[in-house]
Amino acid sequence: MKIFKALGSGYHRSLKVWKGVLIFWLISLLLASAVALPMKSVMKAGFGQSAITEKLMNGINVEVLSDLGTLLRGMVHYFSSGLLVLLLLWLIINAFITGGLFDSLKSKNEKFSAGEFFSSSARNFLPFLGITLITGAILLSFALLLIVIPMRGVVSIENPNESVPWLIMFISVSLYILISQVFVLVADYARAWQAKNEKTACFRALGFGFSRTFRRFLSSFPMMLMLWLIQTLFVFLVLKVIGNWKPASGIGVFALFLLSQMLFYIRLFLKVWRYGSVTSLKELNDPAPVPESILTA
Amino acid sequence: MRNPLFILALLLLVSGRTNSQVINKVPLSPRITGYKIDAKLNPTSKSVEGTLEAFWVNKTTETVPDIQLHMYLNAFKSSRSTFYKESGGSLGKDSAAIGWVNLKSFVCKDGTNLLPLVRYIHPDDNNISDSTVIDIMLPKPAKPGDTVSVKISFVSKLPSRIRRTGYNGNFFFFGQWFPKFGVYEPAGMRYRTVGGWNCHQFHASSEFYADHSVYDVRITVPKEYVVGTGGMLLNESDVDGNTKVQTWRAEDIVDFAWTAWPGYAVFNDQWKNVKIRLLIPKTRQEQVGRQFTAIKNALEYYDKNVGPYPWPHLTIVDPPAYGSGAGGMEYTTLFTSDSFYKIPGSIHLPEMVTVHEFGHAYFMGILASNEFEEPWMDEGINTFWEDRIMGHYWGENSSLMDLPLLKISDKSTSRLSYVRSGSNQVVSNKEFSWNYPHYTYSMMSYEKTATWLYTLMGIIGEDAMNEVFRQYYSEWAFKHPCAKDFVNVVNEVVTRIYGNKFGPDMNWFFDQTLYGTGICDYKVQGFSNIGYEFKTKKDTASRSLMAVDSTKRAIVRLERRGDIMLPVDVLVHFRDGKEIRETWDGKSRFKDYTYYGGKEIQWVKIDPDYKIRMDVDLINNSMTGDPDRVPERRFSDKMISFLQFFISIVTL
Repeated sequence: MKIFKALGSGYHRSLKVWKGVLIFWLISLLLASAVALPMKSVMKAGFGQSAITEKLMNGINVEVLSDLGTLLRGMVHYFSSGLLVLLLLWLIINAFITGGLFDSLKSKNEKFSAGEFFSSSARNFLPFLGITLITGAILLSFALLLIVIPMRGVVSIENPNESVPWLIMFISVSLYILISQVFVLVADYARAWQAKNEKTACFRALGFGFSRTFRRFLSSFPMMLMLWLIQTLFVFLVLKVIGNWKPASGIGVFALFLLSQMLFYIRLFLKVWRYGSVTSLKELNDPAPVPESILTA
Repeated sequence: MRNPLFILALLLLVSGRTNSQVINKVPLSPRITGYKIDAKLNPTSKSVEGTLEAFWVNKTTETVPDIQLHMYLNAFKSSRSTFYKESGGSLGKDSAAIGWVNLKSFVCKDGTNLLPLVRYIHPDDNNISDSTVIDIMLPKPAKPGDTVSVKISFVSKLPSRIRRTGYNGNFFFFGQWFPKFGVYEPAGMRYRTVGGWNCHQFHASSEFYADHSVYDVRITVPKEYVVGTGGMLLNESDVDGNTKVQTWRAEDIVDFAWTAWPGYAVFNDQWKNVKIRLLIPKTRQEQVGRQFTAIKNALEYYDKNVGPYPWPHLTIVDPPAYGSGAGGMEYTTLFTSDSFYKIPGSIHLPEMVTVHEFGHAYFMGILASNEFEEPWMDEGINTFWEDRIMGHYWGENSSLMDLPLLKISDKSTSRLSYVRSGSNQVVSNKEFSWNYPHYTYSMMSYEKTATWLYTLMGIIGEDAMNEVFRQYYSEWAFKHPCAKDFVNVVNEVVTRIYGNKFGPDMNWFFDQTLYGTGICDYKVQGFSNIGYEFKTKKDTASRSLMAVDSTKRAIVRLERRGDIMLPVDVLVHFRDGKEIRETWDGKSRFKDYTYYGGKEIQWVKIDPDYKIRMDVDLINNSMTGDPDRVPERRFSDKMISFLQFFISIVTL
């Protein structure tokens, strides 16, 4: 029951911080545009006044794109380095924004305040960045251990039974998904703990995250899996919708932009729902505060 | 060696069935060579021990003093072989890894021991470490009509690094595995001015050349092994409960290959009178339907557009992943495909490989060109037909990949491999296969050829192109055509259909594409609508005058940037919706078209039907006054969303 209570409370808390989610969305849009728009300009310059773009109306046409020649190679290089820079920037900005979000998701807060949001973002930035980096390193190590190494091993073994590598890959990936959710939970608990504490203590926060995750495993892990499933299904749905929609007019393209941004806003909202639910679950599992009268007695 | 009458009698008596008809009612080929092989697989030593009775008939008017045979497996004997010197790479860790073929005895039918006369020769590169060709000076030269019959006892050890041929564990693929005659070319055949053996060493970037032969092959293997060959199974018997002996027969094919592996599942199907046998790993049974569909489509297309498949049998081998080095290779009535476990139906790679390898039955098996010297005649022509078949049956735009977000056609990959290659001007298609510099063998032999054949089809039309191949097939089936023979057929068919429309012949096309190194690039340099903005335009009288003023003109400026000159269509579209289609011979560097009468050009396209696939830049083939920016904006919208979702998924 605690799970559903936490999910319900998390949902309401995330609705309450819609302005914070809006900030989150806006920054992501600016960053992604900084990578995508120059690529669009290169394409525009490459195609110039050619009518060949008619062959792109039905989607990607490798023949036409390849005829961009060196421009395409430049775009690919720009994209790969742009993606890396974007990822690093987002890692930092994500640590900053989530600092404010986790703070706004605490039960005591009734109303969203931008000033308080940014102030707590700044206060929590370093410990949140530390939590993100440490958890990220753990997740990468597990990916190496559970996916990369077994797969390399399987590929090098010349097994006549061709289903074995696939079975091993399926098991490896499934196991990784399950384990990754454990560490995401650790990070969320740690950030919820840090948001509640005035002192910045990254390692203590992580310690709390580990301790709470494993002490309350049965009540918190299924919740994480449910949230993961909902988010994954949503992303698949979005990919299907955005991927398959090929508007052929300017208005259609604008509608595509609006829809895709709306869907991304919902995606961010679902993520914040997770933060809110974990925060709520943490508070539900926190020992009840000792009444003032007993303390003073 | 015997005189002709004696040989005829000997063949009837000794060779028994070799020249008799078991599969086809009449011989398809002249059967200059024939082989009767008895091979026993030793799975432990990864080798076969065998005896081979072979004959070569001197059907020329020349006296031939020697015979030459390929010993292909010796390419895997040493890293100093020509094959390994050219390809690099490792032979393997130990002696069990290398491959070789050893002659234990070599005698004439009359019992003369030829083994002391065996001499390794290196006609291509003088590499004394290469032992892939042997020459034997005959005790008595072979006169016209003579038949040279030999009996060879040999051991063939397969290499562990499978390159077409080899083993891995208990998987065996035997290709180029027995001593095999080269092709004796008399003066006048192909480019010969003096008769001689055409027997090249085994090269890394090369395939093969052989006469059509009859094969009677007896294969002994452990009972649990499933065997596939390029022949028809005539007989199978159990030897001692653990071993079985199979007798196979193949007629009029240029090579005999076989595979043995206990893990194969066997499936059978039929197209018209052709019995199709598929050997596929048991775990890949969900792909059986795909393979049969692919082969039936190919059979149907070739039958309709080129000529009939003349054999009543065909074997497809889809090797296991750990034997994939044997995948994607052709041996006429047997070929290997290349699929993967759980490969999605939207990726048509297995179909593509099957269609391609089957096509070699026509352009290497029936029309047995010399792949050493003119690889484009097999690989290039075959790639052209593969592209066409894939496009016809699996979609013009999605024949290779049909994913929701990405569709790729087979013919696009061929064109791109050529036009985007940085080395597409370094050499012409005239080279011997191993002489292509800058790693251009594949691009030149496969993709450039397919692209210029598509361009030729764009110029002469699909019906004429099919007629070219029908005639090429009927004139040259079971012979050894060369480039000039193909060009002659094109010239004949095109002038028959079009008269003098393209000139007295099509040599101008082949000189530039097949024998030339230039590229093709046409460009719309610009267009202008002159005389529409007059200061007097407010004046009604002047305006009405302007509408009929013949001094107003619209000009299209075209440019030929490449060296290749081909006739191209030019489509000019005016703002009033009218269009004019021009035909430019494409010869001059620059060309202008001027239109009078108040028409305003909206857009111009060179080659509006995308027929000239050799053009290295399709973007500059058109120009419009109102470029459509929707695809670019759509791309940027989707890219932004993708980046946003990506960063939000990979961060906590």
